[in-house]
Amino acid sequence: MTVQATQQAVSKGGGRSRRTDAPATLSNLIRRPESGSLIATIAIFIFFAIFGGAKFTAQSGTATWLNPAAELGIIAIPVGLLMIAGELDLSVGSVLAASSMTLAIVSGHWGQPIIVGIVVALGLGLVTGFLNGLIVTRTQVPSFVVTLATNFGLAGLALGLTRAITGSTSVALTSESWAKHLFGSYVSGKFEVAIFWWIGVIVVVGWILHVSKYGNWIFAVGGDLVSARATGIPTDRVKIALFMGTAFGASLVGVIQTILYNSAQVANGQAFIFNSIIAVVIGGVLLTGGYGSVFGVIFGTLTFAIVGQGIYYTGWNPDWASLFLGVLLLLAVLMNNTFRRMALSYGPRKKKD
Amino acid sequence: MVAVSVGALITVSACSSSSDKTANGDTKAASSGKGPAIFVVGGKADDPFWSRVKRGADDAAKVVKSGGGSVTWLAPKNYDNLGPDAAKLIQTAMSQGADGVVGPDWVPEAEDAAFKQVVSGKKPLVIYNAGGIDAANSLGALNYFGSDEATAGKAGGEFFGKDGEKNVLCVNTLPGAANTEARCKGIADGIGENGGKSSQLPLPSSKFGDPTAVAQAIKAALLKDSSIDGVVTIGTGDANAAASAIEQGGLADKVKLGTFDLDDTQLGRIQSGKQLFAIDQQPYMQGYLAVSALYAYIQWGIELPQKPILTGPAIISKDNVETAVAGSKAGVR
Repeated sequence: MTVQATQQAVSKGGGRSRRTDAPATLSNLIRRPESGSLIATIAIFIFFAIFGGAKFTAQSGTATWLNPAAELGIIAIPVGLLMIAGELDLSVGSVLAASSMTLAIVSGHWGQPIIVGIVVALGLGLVTGFLNGLIVTRTQVPSFVVTLATNFGLAGLALGLTRAITGSTSVALTSESWAKHLFGSYVSGKFEVAIFWWIGVIVVVGWILHVSKYGNWIFAVGGDLVSARATGIPTDRVKIALFMGTAFGASLVGVIQTILYNSAQVANGQAFIFNSIIAVVIGGVLLTGGYGSVFGVIFGTLTFAIVGQGIYYTGWNPDWASLFLGVLLLLAVLMNNTFRRMALSYGPRKKKD
Repeated sequence: MVAVSVGALITVSACSSSSDKTANGDTKAASSGKGPAIFVVGGKADDPFWSRVKRGADDAAKVVKSGGGSVTWLAPKNYDNLGPDAAKLIQTAMSQGADGVVGPDWVPEAEDAAFKQVVSGKKPLVIYNAGGIDAANSLGALNYFGSDEATAGKAGGEFFGKDGEKNVLCVNTLPGAANTEARCKGIADGIGENGGKSSQLPLPSSKFGDPTAVAQAIKAALLKDSSIDGVVTIGTGDANAAASAIEQGGLADKVKLGTFDLDDTQLGRIQSGKQLFAIDQQPYMQGYLAVSALYAYIQWGIELPQKPILTGPAIISKDNVETAVAGSKAGVR
């Protein structure tokens, strides 16, 4: 796929990607990179609809997997973009916690207007992302290591400052009502407004990756960095922007969770590091970069959330939850791989028509 | 949350072995001149529970410092490899010339050898937070300062039972850990004696630290079994998630919430009537008493007859929430 991605970037020179130009026949549709993950999502949903019964398919049951999916998705989509560009971000856990705590300290402990807390919290995310990107592009140290270091460093900084400032590690926050409505309320008492933020992220990132010229830049950077640079793509700037994107997503979820649960805990968020990467990989993005799609990541996130929450509707002994998670995830990824092979092997022939 | 679970028990046990007596004599001799160097092994400072333990230890350290001594807090970076890490910290304390050690016996298999080095090195040892008086006795420690998970759970279960709940769900985000299991078992025992029952909801590690995923799992369990009329969580973060789950499920009138451990958010909910109770093991006293007792023993040979010394459980409900709020504002509760 290295060849494919570079070829795509070079030959199109910033135009639309080849995939979107293909005629929308069924055979083309099924070979789109996200088809495998869509089918996995549907299969998993049907599985739990059968074993979870009416309560799983009811509104409340839908909210059970849609709410965690929305929060995970806000992080997973920019992480997916970053992974397509061939980098990893392991700092999202601490960014989430630090942003969450920043908001709680600024607006809860110091009593500033909540807008100040939100801006500072999101700003913290952007700055962290910028630093991640800067260090990765300047030093050539693998992003795995750089962001791992950021994750530890920021966790320590958040803890030290929180304790020094508040004398505690859990800070309460009472939100102004507009902020509560915008970030931390429930639509019809069940669905988090985070779902709309997720949709917003999907639209913006989907446009960037699949419509704008920057999308091809990202594929090219992940597919073959040297060739991408040779064609004049500002690879460093692309990467820095993507790191800022993942950190922004993490800090947005930090803000949402803090307002939603009226408090911030220093130790929260670490689960998102691994879970976001899992969702992205189930969504068909290659761990090595250069291949993937926003829709794939959406379905990957949904699959992970449905598998993670669905078992509690089945009435089965929840001791086995992790076993189901493991087996179903493996099946989902195997399905993806099958479809990706179909999609890629079909590629050369498509050129002829 | 990890820390919360880890931090259930504190004990200082007094031991009466012969090695103690020698340690006693030696330390008394050593204490003439400058004050003792006390080392405290504790949990990560970034969880609310341990920050209060440390606050207690810090307050006790003021007295130690006024006597020319010092108190050093040693904590692991994370809980991924807790037993071996804690054992290394105990060895670190000894290699830095500790005159006395305070430590939790989280993972006896890994830590006990290191604790025995303390005792065989003729230095007094205090077990706190985890392990109980049995561990303290078998190691030859002075005493155990802490709460007892089973006792705490039982107190919570009894509170549910007397309040009229019949079927309580114990949400365990750290299934398999000895103290969280003991908490849930204690709840079941306590409510069992008062005409109810309790079952456990174990949640996998992929949900740990993600309140939304925990909340939705709890909501699912509540919707699945409509006979559940009480939820208890093993820590405060999970309690926030459970409160949200009860609200989203539209079950506020039916399902009562209780939790182990305490923070401002719990206090706020208890004040506003949205939460039934919180079980406080009063972590401040674990740090404060363990360090104070060790210091008094090293300096003057003072030993307390009561073993173990339990710092909890204290049930915070609407009856006593106002005084707890005052303590919380001071960073102590």
